[in-house]
Amino acid sequence: MSKAATLSITSKWPEVTVVSQTPQLIALFTIIRDVNTKRGDFVFYSDRIIRILVEEGLNHLPVKDIEVPTPTDVTYDGLQFEGKICGVSIMRAGEAMEQGLRDCCRSVRIGKILIQRDEETAEPKLFYEKLPADIKDRYVLLLDPMLATGGSAITAVEVLISKGVPAERILFLNLISTPEGIETFVKACPGVKIITGFIDKCLNEKKFVSPGLGDFGDRYYCI
Amino acid sequence: MSSSEEPQSLASTHSYLPPWSSPHVIGIAGCSGSGKTSVASQILKALNVPWAVILSFDNFYKPLSPAQSKRAFANEYDFDAPEALDLDSLACVLKNLRQGKKVDIFTYSFAQHNRTDVTTPVYGANIIILEGIFALYDERINEMLDLKVFVDTDLDICMARRLRRDIVYRGRDLQGAMKQWMSFVKPNFERYVRPTMEIADVVVPRGLDNTVAIDMLIRHVQRTLTVKSRQHLEQLSNLNGEIAGQNDVDVCTLPNVRVLKQTNQVRGIHTILFNRATKRGDFIFYLERLMVLLIEEAMNAQPYSIKEVPTPTGVPYTGLLPELNTCAVEIVRGGTCFETSLRKILPDTAVGKILIQSNARTGEPFLHYLKLPPDFENKQILLCDTQAITGAAAVMAIRVLLDHGAVEKNICFVTYLADKARAMRRILSAYPRVQVVVGKVEDTFKRRFIDTKYYGT
Repeated sequence: MSKAATLSITSKWPEVTVVSQTPQLIALFTIIRDVNTKRGDFVFYSDRIIRILVEEGLNHLPVKDIEVPTPTDVTYDGLQFEGKICGVSIMRAGEAMEQGLRDCCRSVRIGKILIQRDEETAEPKLFYEKLPADIKDRYVLLLDPMLATGGSAITAVEVLISKGVPAERILFLNLISTPEGIETFVKACPGVKIITGFIDKCLNEKKFVSPGLGDFGDRYYCI
Repeated sequence: MSSSEEPQSLASTHSYLPPWSSPHVIGIAGCSGSGKTSVASQILKALNVPWAVILSFDNFYKPLSPAQSKRAFANEYDFDAPEALDLDSLACVLKNLRQGKKVDIFTYSFAQHNRTDVTTPVYGANIIILEGIFALYDERINEMLDLKVFVDTDLDICMARRLRRDIVYRGRDLQGAMKQWMSFVKPNFERYVRPTMEIADVVVPRGLDNTVAIDMLIRHVQRTLTVKSRQHLEQLSNLNGEIAGQNDVDVCTLPNVRVLKQTNQVRGIHTILFNRATKRGDFIFYLERLMVLLIEEAMNAQPYSIKEVPTPTGVPYTGLLPELNTCAVEIVRGGTCFETSLRKILPDTAVGKILIQSNARTGEPFLHYLKLPPDFENKQILLCDTQAITGAAAVMAIRVLLDHGAVEKNICFVTYLADKARAMRRILSAYPRVQVVVGKVEDTFKRRFIDTKYYGT
C-alpha cells in the first residue's frame, strides 16, 4: 500500500472554508512547497492556486435571482452578483494575490495595508494604509497568502473595522494557514470568514507554517 | 484473447463506425494513355469534398535493384507487367483504408526508380478512387472494389497521348518512348489489361471525351454519398445503448463524468453568458473565466502519483504529481474558444486542431481538417468544444483520436454546455471509458451560440 498524499486538516471552525482538496490542487501545492521550485514556476503555480481561491471566495458574496432573455428566446432563471466589493492586500506578500482577483473581477478596487513587526514590542504595527473612501459600503476581500500566527491579519481587520466595515463583510483569503493562527484569528475577529487553500499541520517554534512553503513574499518576489 | 478486446456483438447501439470505416471504392483501369487519371480527377473535381481521394498505382511500383534500374534508364525494363507493381502492398493499404485506419502512402520517384522518404497520409476517406492499368487485375483488390470501371480508348489515341506525355513531360526521346510502347506497353495491355474489361461494371469508351459517361459516374458517386450520409446519421442517433450495464443510468452520476459544481459564481456566469443583452466584451471575459474553471476541473480527470518534496522549512511534504503530460485538441471552431484559458493553465501545452463541420440541414458531421500534437497518444488529451448538442462532432473527434492511437481513458472531453439525453449519452455509450467534463448540463435543445458570440461572426 503506497503512502497517501497529505491533504489539509479538516476545518472545525464554522468561519473557515477549505478549498476542495482535488488532486490537481494538491499537485499545485506540491510544486510551490518544493524548495527546488524556481521562482518562475513558483509564481505561475501560486497564481493558479490564488485564482481557485478567489473563485471560491467570491462564492461567499450575496446573489439575487434574476430572469434573463437568452439568444434562443427562452428565459433563463439565473443569478446576479450583488453588492460592491474591493480587495485589500497586506503588503508585500498579499499584493501577489491582486492579479488573481483582477482575473476574476476586472475593475476591482484594491486597497493596501502595510503592517510590520514593531522592533521594540515584537507586536505587529500598522505603518501605512490606502483604502477606498467608501470601503464601509463594500464587501472586502482581505488578501495575505500565509496565515501563520494571525498577528498581521488581525491588525488588518482592526483597521477595516475602524473604517466602518462590518466583520460579516470581510473575507480573508489565504493559501496556507495553521490551526494555531486560525484559532487566534477567529477569537480576535468574530464574524470574519476565512477561505484557505490548505490548513497545515502546525506553527513551528520559529513561528513559521510547517511544512508550509517558506517565506511566500521572498519566493514570489525575490529568491 | 486480451481483456481489452470488445465483443463484436455489442455493435449497433454501442459502437460508432465513421463513414470512412466503410468507404466506397471505385477501381478505374484502362490502357496507359487512355485517360484513367483524367476521368478519376474529373470525378474528384465534381465531388469537391476532402473525403474523396485518388489512390494511384503509380506510387506502388517496386523499388528497382541497381541492375534493373540500369535497364530502366535504357528503356528495357518492363514497367507494364504486373510483376513491376507491389500489388501486395496495395492490397494491404486498401484493406486498411476499408477498415477506417490511417495509412501512409509511399511516394515513388520515377527519376530514381525508387520509393522516396516522403509519405502521404490518407485518412478519413469516404470515397476512394483506385486508378491504374491493373486496377481490375488482382483478385484480392477486385474483391474490395464496389464499382469497377474500364476506360476503353482506341489504342492509337492511347499511344499518341503516351508519346506526347513521355516526351514533353518526362524528358524521354521519341525512339525510347516508341521502344517502350512497342515492346512492353502494348503487348502487356493485350495480355493482362484488356481481359480485365470482362469484369468491369462500367466500360467508358473514349475516356475523358465521354462526358455523358463521366456525368453518370459522378451521379452514381453522389447517390452513394447520400446513402452513406443517411446511414451515418441513423447510426449516430442509434447510439443509445446501455451504459455501465444499465439502460436508464443518469449519465451525470458516472464516475468518469464531472459536472462543474454549480456555485453562485458559476451560476452567475451562466446568467451573464445566457443573457442576450450581454455585450461581447463581457461575454468573452466571463466565458474565459468559466473555461479556466473547466480546465482546472478537467485536470482532476487524470491519474496522479504520490510525490514527496523537501520544503524550505526542512519538513518534507507528501503531495501529488500528474502521471501524464497534458495536451489539448480543439474541435474547431467551438473548441478554439478555450485557447486563451488553456494558455493560462498550461502555457506550453501542445494544441491540436480538428475541424468537424456539421451539415446545416441534416446535422451530419464531416471531418475537414486534422492536425494532432506530437506524441499525443502518450499524453492526457483534453478534447475541447463549447457546446455538445447532438454529440456528433465529439463522437467523430474521439473516433479520430482513437484511430490515431490514443487510449480511450486518457481522452477527456471538455465542453461548456452538453445536452444530457443526446450528446452525453451518445458519447458515453460509444466510448464508456472516456472522461467527460461539463460546465452546464442542458436538458433541451439549444442552438449553437457560444462560439458565434465569442468570435462575433
